[in-house]
Amino acid sequence: MRSIFRPPASWRHRSFRYRMMVWRCVDCGAVHNYRARRCRRCRSGRIGEDQLPQRGRLLFYTMVRTMFEGYEHHSPSPAGIIEFEDGTRILALLTDCEPEELREGMVVERVFRKIAEDGDSGVIVYGFKFRPLLTQGK
Amino acid sequence: MRRVYAVGASMIRIDEYWGESLDSLASQLVDGLFSLAPPKIDAVFVANAFGEVLQSQSNLGAIIAEDLGLAGVAAYRVEAGEASGAAALHAAYQSIGAGLADTVLVVGVEKLSDASPEEATAALSLSERYDYVGYQGIPQQAIASMMYAQYLRRYEVPQEMVAQIPVLMHEHAANSPHAQYRFKISLESVLSSPPVAEPLRRLECAGLGDGAAALLLCSSDALSSIRHDEVAELAGMACSTDVVTPFDREDPLRLGAASRAFEEALARAGTDRKELKVLEIHDSYSIIGCLILESIGLSEPGKSGLDVKRGKYGLGGELALNTFGGLKARGHPCGATGVYQAAELFLQLTGRAGNCQVDDARVGAMINLAGLASCGFAAVMKVRGV
Amino acid sequence: MPKLKDVFIQGYGAYIPSLRIKASEIGRVWGVGDSELPVKEKAVNNYDEDTATMAVESAKYALARAGIDRGRIGAVYVGSESHPYAVKPTGTIVAEALGVSNMTLAADLEFACKAGTEAIQIVSGLVSSGMIELGLAIGSDTAQGRPRDALEYTAAAGAAAFVIGGKRNDPVAEIEASRSYVSDTPDFWRRSYERYPVHGHRFTAAPAYFHHITSSVKTILGEGYSLSDFTYVVFHQPNTKFPFAAAKMLGIPPEKVEPGVVCHVVGNTYAGSALLGLCKVLDRAKPQDKILVASYGSGAGSDALVINVLEGIEGKRGLAPTVEDLVGRRRYIDYALYLRARNKIRLQ
Repeated sequence: MRSIFRPPASWRHRSFRYRMMVWRCVDCGAVHNYRARRCRRCRSGRIGEDQLPQRGRLLFYTMVRTMFEGYEHHSPSPAGIIEFEDGTRILALLTDCEPEELREGMVVERVFRKIAEDGDSGVIVYGFKFRPLLTQGK
Repeated sequence: MRRVYAVGASMIRIDEYWGESLDSLASQLVDGLFSLAPPKIDAVFVANAFGEVLQSQSNLGAIIAEDLGLAGVAAYRVEAGEASGAAALHAAYQSIGAGLADTVLVVGVEKLSDASPEEATAALSLSERYDYVGYQGIPQQAIASMMYAQYLRRYEVPQEMVAQIPVLMHEHAANSPHAQYRFKISLESVLSSPPVAEPLRRLECAGLGDGAAALLLCSSDALSSIRHDEVAELAGMACSTDVVTPFDREDPLRLGAASRAFEEALARAGTDRKELKVLEIHDSYSIIGCLILESIGLSEPGKSGLDVKRGKYGLGGELALNTFGGLKARGHPCGATGVYQAAELFLQLTGRAGNCQVDDARVGAMINLAGLASCGFAAVMKVRGV
Repeated sequence: MPKLKDVFIQGYGAYIPSLRIKASEIGRVWGVGDSELPVKEKAVNNYDEDTATMAVESAKYALARAGIDRGRIGAVYVGSESHPYAVKPTGTIVAEALGVSNMTLAADLEFACKAGTEAIQIVSGLVSSGMIELGLAIGSDTAQGRPRDALEYTAAAGAAAFVIGGKRNDPVAEIEASRSYVSDTPDFWRRSYERYPVHGHRFTAAPAYFHHITSSVKTILGEGYSLSDFTYVVFHQPNTKFPFAAAKMLGIPPEKVEPGVVCHVVGNTYAGSALLGLCKVLDRAKPQDKILVASYGSGAGSDALVINVLEGIEGKRGLAPTVEDLVGRRRYIDYALYLRARNKIRLQ
């Protein structure tokens, strides 16, 4: 199938994809990366917006070698599970690194990147990726 | 609820059928099923996952019913990702159990050879959340590989242990007439196969092929009116779901959907896991095979690979696992896979499993998953009267 | 022209992508010897970076230094000759990614290599007039050079952003004055629907770059400045030679120019070029230093800015990576990987 990026789909998810705005349960703290109206953990209906931090720890990583049609320019690409201070885990692509630089537990930071393009004429899809810290110790 | 019986099964070998379409693949099942006089069928449940995306075809209930010569019969297409087959079986089980139908045909059909490797990867990844994972271009296998990494780290086992699963699957498939890959492979060849997403390697992933399988189910009332040679009872079936993305769960290595469905199916069947002689599981990736065995309590956490190595799950072992080769070697025609598993259980319990036959197979079970265990189905089948 | 009133730089941020290609590697492919190379190496945006993403990264650093509430940003101006869309603003992508208020002015500017200083001028005007409290001025480019053309050695990727506002928050610097000089000079252009720009070779020098830069500098000096007032002078840097040659024409000692030169190791980052030079100078400047910036954009024009460094620089400098940090983070690629990163390999 063709990777068709429907503009409304990118648009309605932009706060999560651009800034990692999430929906956090006011009662139990569970984080949803979709517009949850009821907490998936405690069923509470009290959900508020929150932003995940800029930095987290790389729990696990892998090299994605078969990506979808439309992502050929990105393949192969490292991907990982990033865990934040509050325990929230996010699945994300990694960038600006060679696989041998990656270590489980290393601190990574969020950057804004191009995720995919719908050919030469369709929309450009933007979103978060993570990279090793640009300057260590800063 | 009423008792539900399986009275016939039919499968084609999983392969690349360049000359066949979804409907013509399914129509090949007729001979195997209705060699006897065709019974009166109340409903057809068609399991298929990717008809829309790979064949531009929906409405497969009506289309497959017509191709089977059953136009006029109530027909439904059932989709639950890679668990579509078990979902269709579950729907049939419920409709017979509830007394709404007496004779139901479950058909699973999928054609993956129409897909390029990228399309097949994308199709499998449709079970994961697209707006979160899919849009990033991250395929399902990458998530499975990180569950794998977590597993190796937590239990401090070498990859050679997890990679025992595909070796066993090929051993079982070598004698399996309908398996896609009827040959043995060595542990070395698994570990040296190209990485798909480290640590996951090519030969640890299920074979994707074209397939079609069917199972004929009926109620006890209909049993007397159907001419049949063999019967097994679909004694219990259940479904459970989980948080979709594994790393959003409390413990990504515990497949709760599989264990809950399994427990409930055993309870409904009034049996115990100790009674099981045959088990067909959803080894979409070697690691998922291990996690199922450990989540349902058949192997200790971190020990399933060792159990495989020690022969626990061989055809002559304590519990025969994936007796025709499982998803890895029998093949994984996604939406049809659950129907293959059920048909294989039926062959085992009716003593017609040929070279794959397990001695004294009187109770068997299957587990079919969608995605990375976001949805799980389990079924228990028994020899009649057990 | 009166001097600007109460216009301050609250924060500045640079961004340079991590990939580098050596000019000698490009020369290897086309048989050009090292002695003819205009720069040492240039920064290359990766496949997942474009003008919008680099603008966002530089603006994040500028905001980190400014330490202001993003909701108070009232304008986002992005200057570039490589906006990702021909029609659809970069500014809205940048504003959304940064999480600034929706009630903001946003516009894209294009004036070859001087669209970044224009953004500063426009935001300065808005602040000075009281139309906005704070604004973002960004220059960002992923410049394209036709393979084998002289520009292929220099056309680079980079961005710089400035948070500009009134005198609050311990500003980094004051923008004291600004003058421009433009004329219709076709030294470099890219027609609609064309992939690569065309340039006039030596015509880009005397009547274009040098005439406009020296004219804008002379114009601003006419406001009552003398060259000796300035600790640093930053020029647009299409190659390593031009800024020093312009300085020589104006009688500026090379020591005042050298600290703001980045193009030898980054290349020509077009709308980001003079601004990256300014960031580099701010990374080392002391309070009371005076900086003269003169950009150049083909077509043609030059914007001159007079900037006074203030006490705030000391506390804010360390809040984001310096230009040196960004120059130091680099990974060399060969020409094949360069073609891949720049999406020059046909896959369909």
